[in-house]
Amino acid sequence: MGELVIRATVNGAPRRWTVAPGDLLLDVLRREGYWGVKNGCETGECGACAVLLDGEPVNSCLVFAAQADGRRIETVEGVAAGDRLDPVQEAFLDHGGVQCGYCTPAMILVTRALLARTPRPTEDEVREALSGVFCRCTGFKKPVEAVLAAAARLADARPAAPPAGRKPARKAAAR
Amino acid sequence: MSGASPPSPPSRRAVVGRRVRKVDGFKLVTGRTAFTDDIALPGLLVGRILASPHAHARIRDIDTRRAKALPGVHAVLTWKDVPRVPHTTAGQAWPEPSPYDTYLLDSKVRFVGDRVAAVAAETRAVAEEALRLIEVDWEVLPPVLDMEHAMDPGTAVIHDEPDATGIRDAARNLAGDIHTHIGDVEAGFRESDLILEREYRTPRQQHAMLEPHIVICWLDADNRLVIRTSTQIPFHVRRQVAMILRIPVSRIRVIKPRIGGGFGGKQEMVLEDLCAALTLASGRPVKLEYSRHEEFFMARTRHPQILRLRMGVKRDGTIVAHHMRVLAATGAYGSHCTTVQGNTGSKVLPLYRAPHLRFDCDVVYLTTPQAGAFRGYGCPQGYFAQESLVDEIAHELGMDPIAFRLKNAIRQGDVDELSAQLGEGKKGLPRTIRSCGLPECLEKGAAAIGWKEQRNGGVRRPGRLLRGVGVATTMQGSGIAGVDFAGAFLKANEDGSFNLQVGATDLGTGSDTVLAQIAAETLGVSLDKILIYSSDTDFTPFDVGAYASSTTIISGGAVKKAAEKVRDDMCCFAAQLLDAPPEDLVCRDNRVFAPGGKSVSMAEVAVHALYKEKTQVMEGASHFNTDSPPPFCATFAEVEVDTETGRVRPVHLVTAVDLGVAINPMQAEGQAEGAVAQGLGYALAEELVLDGRGRPANANFCDYKIFTAKDMPKLTTILVETEEPLGPFGAKSIAEVGINGVAPAVANAAFDATGLRFRRLPIRPDAVLAALGGRR
Amino acid sequence: MFDRLRAFHRPATVAAALRLATAERRAGGRGAFVAGGTDLVVQGDGSLRWVVDLSLLPLRYVRRRGAGGGWTIGSTTTMADLERSAALRRFADGVLCDAAATAGSPQIRNRGTIGGNLANASPACDLAPPLLALDASAVIAGGAAGARKAAGGRRTVALERFFRGPGRPALNGGLLVEIVIPAPPVPRGGRAAWAFQKLGRLQSDIAVVNAAAGVIVGSDCRCRWARIAIGAAGPTPLRARRAEALLVGRPFDRDAAQAAAARAAGETRPVSDVRATADYRREMSRVLVGRALDECLERMGRDPWASW
Repeated sequence: MGELVIRATVNGAPRRWTVAPGDLLLDVLRREGYWGVKNGCETGECGACAVLLDGEPVNSCLVFAAQADGRRIETVEGVAAGDRLDPVQEAFLDHGGVQCGYCTPAMILVTRALLARTPRPTEDEVREALSGVFCRCTGFKKPVEAVLAAAARLADARPAAPPAGRKPARKAAAR
Repeated sequence: MSGASPPSPPSRRAVVGRRVRKVDGFKLVTGRTAFTDDIALPGLLVGRILASPHAHARIRDIDTRRAKALPGVHAVLTWKDVPRVPHTTAGQAWPEPSPYDTYLLDSKVRFVGDRVAAVAAETRAVAEEALRLIEVDWEVLPPVLDMEHAMDPGTAVIHDEPDATGIRDAARNLAGDIHTHIGDVEAGFRESDLILEREYRTPRQQHAMLEPHIVICWLDADNRLVIRTSTQIPFHVRRQVAMILRIPVSRIRVIKPRIGGGFGGKQEMVLEDLCAALTLASGRPVKLEYSRHEEFFMARTRHPQILRLRMGVKRDGTIVAHHMRVLAATGAYGSHCTTVQGNTGSKVLPLYRAPHLRFDCDVVYLTTPQAGAFRGYGCPQGYFAQESLVDEIAHELGMDPIAFRLKNAIRQGDVDELSAQLGEGKKGLPRTIRSCGLPECLEKGAAAIGWKEQRNGGVRRPGRLLRGVGVATTMQGSGIAGVDFAGAFLKANEDGSFNLQVGATDLGTGSDTVLAQIAAETLGVSLDKILIYSSDTDFTPFDVGAYASSTTIISGGAVKKAAEKVRDDMCCFAAQLLDAPPEDLVCRDNRVFAPGGKSVSMAEVAVHALYKEKTQVMEGASHFNTDSPPPFCATFAEVEVDTETGRVRPVHLVTAVDLGVAINPMQAEGQAEGAVAQGLGYALAEELVLDGRGRPANANFCDYKIFTAKDMPKLTTILVETEEPLGPFGAKSIAEVGINGVAPAVANAAFDATGLRFRRLPIRPDAVLAALGGRR
Repeated sequence: MFDRLRAFHRPATVAAALRLATAERRAGGRGAFVAGGTDLVVQGDGSLRWVVDLSLLPLRYVRRRGAGGGWTIGSTTTMADLERSAALRRFADGVLCDAAATAGSPQIRNRGTIGGNLANASPACDLAPPLLALDASAVIAGGAAGARKAAGGRRTVALERFFRGPGRPALNGGLLVEIVIPAPPVPRGGRAAWAFQKLGRLQSDIAVVNAAAGVIVGSDCRCRWARIAIGAAGPTPLRARRAEALLVGRPFDRDAAQAAAARAAGETRPVSDVRATADYRREMSRVLVGRALDECLERMGRDPWASW
C-alpha cells in the first residue's frame, strides 16, 4: 500500500487529498495551503498547530492525516466570514491579545471550541482552555481578557437564553 | 542630535497614547501568510545540519561520498567546501564588539550540537538519510563544562585556532574580561558600618520563542541571493553573510517577514549563512530551520553567571561601596560575550548612587551551547543578585526595603559615570537622567500589592502555606548610546495615505504599530492612513535592528523626523491651495487647516502636489542618540510557599514601570506582562540542563517548562508616564526592563514568607524543601 | 518522520485489527497500534513500517457492568471523555475524572485514550494510580499468550500485573480493549472515599509524583479495605501494600493516614532525573499519599454517602 486517498471537510468545504501513510495532519494542512496552522514543536506540547477536529481542539502534529478521513476540520482560515472578523478575532485585537501572532490561530480556535461548549466561562475555565497553547509574548493576561470579552460579546448578541449550565467545578490537583 | 521638538500636549494627541489595534493584526488573527515559512516555492529543498555528538572534538576526516551519491541530495557541505572566514554571529553594529571566533563550518566542534556538515535534499527524509551516510573520523577532546574551572592550567583549550581575533586570552579559555571602577571600593568598605558579601547563580535560559529559527534562501532572476529570514537584524545579516560567503553586499537581499518572537535569540545570524551556502552550492531554493529540539541547544541561551557581590552601607542605610564580581560562560563561541556582561555592570550598579563602585568580570568559553542576546541582556542576572542583596541589607538594618531603595536610587539630574566607562566594546558615554518615575513606581506598586498589609518581614509563621511579598527595582536603557541608529522613509499617496518604510524590525512587539502611530500623530492623519512596511534591505532604509530596547526611541525618532519633513512639504503645497503662509498651517484630522479655519484634505494636497506640481512628496531621515535614557521599574511579587512540597507559587505580580510616554499603552502593558511570564520561568522553572558529557537533558517542552495560562498569577501593570526629552513624544522603552526584577522580587517574597534566602535560580522545590527542613 | 510507514490500516472490528497486525508481523517489519497518537507520534520511531489505527473500533464507551456494579471502559475512550463523564463523576468521588483532567493539555486529552495511557506503561501514567486503587483489570484481545486462552481469545490481567516495567506492558502482542472496574466492596452501613493527587513542576505537567487512595470503613469507623497507589516513584505505578495493611483493621483517622503515608513512601523506588531527584520523589510520595488520605477522611466526614 503506497498512497492513501482521504476525504475530509475543511472549513465547510469537502477536500480530497492523496497522502502517504506516515503523513501528519499538520504537514498536509500546510501543504494544502492552510498556512494558519503553525509548526511550533512537533511533539504536541506547544499547541501552535491546534485545529478543531469535529469541533474539538487537537494538536495536528500528533494526528496522522489518514485519521482525518471522513472528519470535519476547522482551521483559523475558516473563522472570519470573508473580510468580516469573528467576535473572537475582534476581541483578540481590541484587547491586545496578539503580539507576535504565531500562537494566535490556535488561541482563536481553542477559544471557539470553549465558547461553543461553555458560552459564559469563568476565568479558570478560560485559563484551562488556553493552557495547551503556549505563548511566549503576552503573559496570557490579555488573551484571557480577550476570551472573556468575546464571550460577553457573543452572549449579548445571542437572543435571551437561560443562563448556561455550569459544569461541576473540578477539584484542583495538588499544587 | 536629539531631534526633540516641543512636545504637543498629551490631551491633544489623536493617535499617540491611544490603545489602538495592531496595524498588522488582521493578517495575524486570520492566519494569512505572514511568516517566513508561509510561502510555497517551486523546487524548494530542505536543509539539515549534522550536529556534533561530542562536546569537544576534532574532525580528523569526513567522508561525504555516500551522502552525495544518495538520490535527491543536491548539496553536501563540510569545512572543506566553504570559505574560512572568522566572524561573530552577534547581530551588532559594525565593527562588532564580539570576538571573531566562529566559522561557517570548521574542522573542530566545540559543543554538542555544533555544526559538522550540512545537506540540502529534495525532502527532509532524504536529507536526514544523507546525514546518516556522512562518515566522520573523530578525535574526541576533553569537554570543558564547569565555568569555575575553565581557566585552570591544563584545561583543554577550546579556541586553539590561529586565525580567531578579539579573544582576550584563548589559551586560558578567557573570551573577554571587564574591569572598571569609580571611586575606591576598598576605601568605601572601610567607611562602611555593615558589609555583606553573597554569591548568586543563574541558569542557562532558552528564549523559547514560538517560531523556531527559520530561513529560506533562493537565487532570483538576476542571480541575486534572496534571504527570507526570521531575524531581528536584517541589515546585519546582509553584511555578515556577504563577508562570510565572500560575495558583495549588493548581491544580497534580506527580507524580514513577520517574526514569531525573538527576545534576542534572533539578534544573531544563526542559520542564514549556512542556508545561503546551500543555495549557492545547489542553485536551488533551500529552507533551513531548527526543530524545537534543536532550538533548545543549537540556537542561543542566556549567559549563566556566578555573581559575587560585596556591598558596604552606613548605619542610616546609605550605600557607600559596591563591588560586583561576575564569572560568566559564553559557551562555545563569544557572540555578545563582553557586551552582555558589560550590561550586568553598567545597567545594574548605577541604579544606586554609591560613590565607590567596582565591576570585575571574566567571560569564559565552555564546550556548551552558545549564549547570546536575551531580553534584559545581562541585567536579569545582575539584578537578581543586586536586588536580593539590597533586600538582605535592608533587613539587616531593620529598614523597609522600599525606603532603603528610595534612599539610594538614582534620580533625575544625576549623571551615571560608570556608563561612560562601560560602552559596548569601547568607551561609552555618561548617562544623564533626564526623566525618572521610580519613586512613583514604588509607591503605586506597593499600593497595588498591598505592601504594608501583606508583609511578614521574614518571620516564618506556622502552617503549610506561607505567603510573602517582595520587591525589586530595576532599570534598562533605550537604545545603545552613540551606536544605534535608524532610517525611515515616507511618501505621500494621492488619497492622503502615506507609505512608511522602515528597517526597524517588528518581531512581535508591535513596533510597526508604534512607528505608524508616531508618523500619524506627526502628520495629523488617522492611523489607517499610514501604510507601514518593515523590512527589506532592498526597499527600506537601514536600521540596526530590534534590540537594546531601541526601536521606539531610535527608529521612532527617525520616523518622527521624516514625518516632520513630509508634514512641512505638505504644508508648502497646502499653502498654495489655502493662500496662507505654510508656517501658519496645522495638520490634524487628515486635513491641513489655515488660521481662519479654512482647510483642505491631505488627499487634495497630495493630488495637487502630484498632478499639478509634478512632485512626489517624500522624505527620509536618520536618527541616533548620544544617551540611552533608562526606563525604571518596580516589580512586586506575592508568593505562596508550600512547606510540604517546596513549591513557590506566584500569586500576584505587579509591574510599575516608568517608560516615558506610552505611545500605545495596551501594547506597552503587553510587553511588561510578557516579560513577567519569562521572568517567572527564569525565577522558578527554566534551565537548560546539560549532562556530564555536555549533552542537553531537557531539550523539549515536556522537560523545559515554561509558564502557561494556568501557571500565570494575577498580573497588575501600572504605566508611570514621564516625559523623556530624548524620546519621540517623550517615549523611552518598555520591552526589556520588565523582566529584570521578577526573579529577585520572587526570591525576596519567598524570604518574606519563610525567612530563607534563595540565591540560585531557578528556585527549585527540592532546594526550598531542603532549606525549610534545615530550619526545622 | 514516519517516512518508512507503508501501511496505515483502519479496521472496524477488534478481530480485523488483530488479523491485520498478525499478518503484518508475519510479513516482517516494525509496526504499532495507534489511537490518539499522543505517545506514538511523540516517540517518533521512524522505523515503523505499518500502523493499525484503532480509531474506528467500537471501543469508545463507559458502561455499567451488569447488575453487580462496577464499570467497563473501552480502551479508545479519550481522556476528555473520562474527564467529562457525568456517570464517572458520581463514581468513587470522581477520582478517574480528576486524574484524566490532569493528563496533558486539553488538546492532548481530546486525543489521548485510556488504552494508550496504560499501554505505554509509563511510570508517570496519570490513570494508573486511581485504577490501581479501584482494583481495575485490563482485558487483552489476541496476542501470543491470549490466542490460546479464554473464549474469543481474550484474557484479563489485573492492572498491577499489567505494568512490568517502564514501557513494558503485559500485552504480548495483544490489544488492550477494555478496562474493567469491579464494584468496591462497601459493606452495609460502611462508607467509602477516593482521592487523586498529582504534583508537577508547573500546573500542566507530567507527574513528578502522582498518587491515589481509596478507603472503605465499616459502620464502626474502622478501615475494612484500603488502596494506595503511587506513580512516577518506581519503574511502574505501584501499590503500597504495606501502607494499606497499616490502615486495615484500625480506626481511620488523621494519625493513621499520616503513618500510612510515611510507610507508603518507604515502598517507593524512585529514580533521579531532570524533573526531580529520587529523594524528592520519595518525600513527595509521602506528602501526596497523606493528602489523598486526608481528602478521603474529609469526604467521609462531610457526607458519608457522597461516593455512592
